[in-house]
Amino acid sequence: MYDCHLECGGRLVDFAGWHMPVQYQKGILQEHLETRRSAGLFDVSHMGRFEIAGRRALEFLRWVLTNDAAALPVGRAHYTLLADETGGAIDDAYLYRFSPEQWLLVVNAANTYKDWEYLRRKAEELGRGVQLKNVSEELAMIALQGPRSESLLLGMIEGGQLPEPKRNSLGAVRIAGCEVLIGRTGYTGEPVCFELFVPAKAAESVWRRLTAAGACPVGLGARDTLRLEASLPLYGHEYGRDVTGREIPILACPAAKVGVNLKDPERRFIGREALEEQSCTLKKGICAFRVFGKGVVRAGAAVFQGLREIGRVTSGTVVPYWVPRAVSCPHHCGHGAGWEAHFSGQTAQRAIGLAMLEGPLGAGALIEIDLRGRRVEAEVVKRNLDNSCGPITFAVV
Amino acid sequence: MIDPEARYLRTHEWAKEEGKGIFAVGLSSYALEQLGDIVYLELSEKGDTVEQGGTFGVVESVKAASDLYAPLGGEIVEVNHAVSDNPDMLKEDPYEEGWLVKIKASNPSEFEDLMDAKEYKQFLETEAE
Repeated sequence: MYDCHLECGGRLVDFAGWHMPVQYQKGILQEHLETRRSAGLFDVSHMGRFEIAGRRALEFLRWVLTNDAAALPVGRAHYTLLADETGGAIDDAYLYRFSPEQWLLVVNAANTYKDWEYLRRKAEELGRGVQLKNVSEELAMIALQGPRSESLLLGMIEGGQLPEPKRNSLGAVRIAGCEVLIGRTGYTGEPVCFELFVPAKAAESVWRRLTAAGACPVGLGARDTLRLEASLPLYGHEYGRDVTGREIPILACPAAKVGVNLKDPERRFIGREALEEQSCTLKKGICAFRVFGKGVVRAGAAVFQGLREIGRVTSGTVVPYWVPRAVSCPHHCGHGAGWEAHFSGQTAQRAIGLAMLEGPLGAGALIEIDLRGRRVEAEVVKRNLDNSCGPITFAVV
Repeated sequence: MIDPEARYLRTHEWAKEEGKGIFAVGLSSYALEQLGDIVYLELSEKGDTVEQGGTFGVVESVKAASDLYAPLGGEIVEVNHAVSDNPDMLKEDPYEEGWLVKIKASNPSEFEDLMDAKEYKQFLETEAE
């Protein structure tokens, strides 16, 4: 899809062995805003995609992944992790079940090789009966996120049906004469969200149809600001090792809770003992925060309460947002007016982030963060983005 | 775009002589293009002193913070608050309205150490390779 990115003014960099756009013509801020108001289009083909099949596939998945693949019906996807024995993350991932006998696991780009080697080794340990196939090259992956995504897709579907309107549901459609698998998943916090799995040879024509219909190409830069505004974790920041080199416990991350399933006491999976202990004893956690005043805090910055250092920033950036138009409905859900009416057209920016903090601290706690030797005031918040009232999201400011 | 009147550092700051040993300092349009959206600008204060190659501020893009390096040493005699309040201005006019600080050089001959427009253009061409 290299040509597509250049056509859209993409500024390409090497990322995990792929040429990937950091941004396109419009720039990170505008791409972020377009996703929140309209529809953002992301080439996420750099992520790793593995097919898992075979008579012992389910047993294998229930052993190597923290979520319980037996609880995943056909036509659904769920969030999951690859834990190590000490309860740290090898990676976080999404597991898709498009058909009864085959699963698709999507992992982080930077970890694809590591995960692939690890899973192959584990499959060998289990013995025969598990077939693993790395389909990252033959199956492209395109995300379409934002309130207008659904109407854009409906306008170009030649057959099949969109997945039912519920997060994590799956379906299959025809676009540009090609079978496309679709999940209602994503990494932006948008309630209306799709990820498309397209045979690599058809990826360019699907991409061009979507841009022609008005979807805004979005690069890795805004992909990061969008996920951070939605408090979604990123391996290497909220998972893996912290800035001091220590392993981050998986359950320190609130988002991990939906990806760890301890319900079935009979299921032995890698990392289970450590995760059970974490679920009882953990005294630190990843919290979202917002910065008051000027300045952008970045990953690694120390966080204080008074003289005491209570943690470090794991991710920090500045995000743009649409200043919400004052509305009478307390849920902002646009009763009567239609959601488009809620975009005033006015935008602003704010510095936000995630931090690993002792406690963990509850929403409303005031903290101070080091910024090049001075301290800026910040507040722990429950969330920086309200996406509970679809189809649009609101900046919590 | 390169201003023929200005001289440049390898880190893409420019300086222009304004007379009486005072130099306006800013960022080249190449640097601004590379940085992408600029969201925050932190500049030293009036009265601060800086050495040649020392930092006089920080420019924040969405992705990262970058230090700003002084093309000449001296005293900062003026700060462009209009730009720090509205960093979008930088891209519109990087060599005139978009100056960042003015430095009264303690040694104006340091200006001669800098690349002239032609040398800077060549430098950018080698950078691009």
